[in-house]
Amino acid sequence: MSEIAFLVISALTIIFAIMVVKSDKLVHSAIYLAGVFIGTAGLFLLLKAEFVAWVQVLVYVGAVITLILFTIMLTRKGEEE
Amino acid sequence: MLYSGMWTGDTMTNAYELIINILTAIGVYDTIFGVFKSYGMEFVLKLIIVLVTLAVLFGFVLVTVMFLTWMERKVAAMVQSRYGPMVTGPRGLLQPVMDGIKLIGKEDIVPAKADRFVFNLAPYLAFVPAILVFVPLPFGESLIISDLRVGLLYIIAISALSPISILLAGWASNNKYTLLAAMRAVAQDISYTLPLALTAIAVVMLTGSLSTVDIVNAQSGTWFGIIPKWFIFLQPLAFILFLIASIAEMGRIPFDFQESESELIAGFFTEYSGMKFAMYFLAEYAHLFAVSGILVTIFLGGWNGPVLPGIPVVITSLVYFILKTYAVVFFAMWLRDTVPRIRIDQLLNIGWKIMIPLALLNLIVTGFLITAGVMR
Repeated sequence: MSEIAFLVISALTIIFAIMVVKSDKLVHSAIYLAGVFIGTAGLFLLLKAEFVAWVQVLVYVGAVITLILFTIMLTRKGEEE
Repeated sequence: MLYSGMWTGDTMTNAYELIINILTAIGVYDTIFGVFKSYGMEFVLKLIIVLVTLAVLFGFVLVTVMFLTWMERKVAAMVQSRYGPMVTGPRGLLQPVMDGIKLIGKEDIVPAKADRFVFNLAPYLAFVPAILVFVPLPFGESLIISDLRVGLLYIIAISALSPISILLAGWASNNKYTLLAAMRAVAQDISYTLPLALTAIAVVMLTGSLSTVDIVNAQSGTWFGIIPKWFIFLQPLAFILFLIASIAEMGRIPFDFQESESELIAGFFTEYSGMKFAMYFLAEYAHLFAVSGILVTIFLGGWNGPVLPGIPVVITSLVYFILKTYAVVFFAMWLRDTVPRIRIDQLLNIGWKIMIPLALLNLIVTGFLITAGVMR
């Protein structure tokens, strides 16, 4: 059971990581990056490291992604000009 | 071997074990377990029980949200000396049902220039954390979905997800008012998460545990036989700061910059209609109830209360928790109808120049008193 969960979560994480690079819009990349971080938190949970997992969610998803989104949204969009 | 007992403390039975205990008490658990075991699928039974607890939680949240919308209008009506909704059902109790039907029937409009993917994703990102926060919330003795060992950290981490949804919704709508509202809301959210976490840490220092159940258990009993051992009496400053910060987190008046109608139409969800609007509405009220529940858990003794003879603790504790939570919810609604909105610069000044220094001071004093042996 644990192995299946590990495979599913790591596959999703890798797919999200690829999508971060492949997607056209920066905001989409940021969303996929949030998915990668949540996947990493899931892997930490499987390793029974709850504290690290939730700190991962708090710091990376909560703070870093917000910072990235804020930065992207405050800068001019390139594709419209 | 599905992870039962893996992420949880062992201080109290949770809802999963409660269901098994009830089934065993009725005398059907062994039969059901035997049926699943004969196919070699015990984990399916465990999954089903987990899904049942989650479904009960979901239903509870939905009903609570419907009741809260009714209560909000009724409290506003009481404050303003009018009746509020009276037509649908007894004293207007079925009004939320009608509202829900209306919202389901509405056309789902996506603005032409909106980023469709992000626009459709954002309501779910608001809704899912609002439900997830309920997982380590102790509704009563053994009425908890999962007693996480780091429950309080989990709650803070999940609450930190809400700015993302707000930002995405505000940006994807491709509307300057929604973007402005999102910027404001996130600035507010970020500056008020800090005092929220800092004041919660003071309680964690007193308890020595991040588990919500341990925090509630540490508040059982009384001083001198009269005063209950709630942390509000040990941490009055932390309680006030946490209350203000949580009202700001919820984005309610006097801190409702997410949707200040007079300036920003309706805030970051201006462009949403139909079910997506309903999901923001649901998330908002679920968040209101969850934050009130967290406040009760941390400072107001959780489900502790006088034990009544002859009634099971499960029921009395649930009643105490619900009563206390609704008292906090009522306070938030009362505040909404009483005070005007403050300005955004005042909001940030209060957050950074008053609340965070006070929270840090509270933390230092608490640490000093614990080290000196005065507290606990």
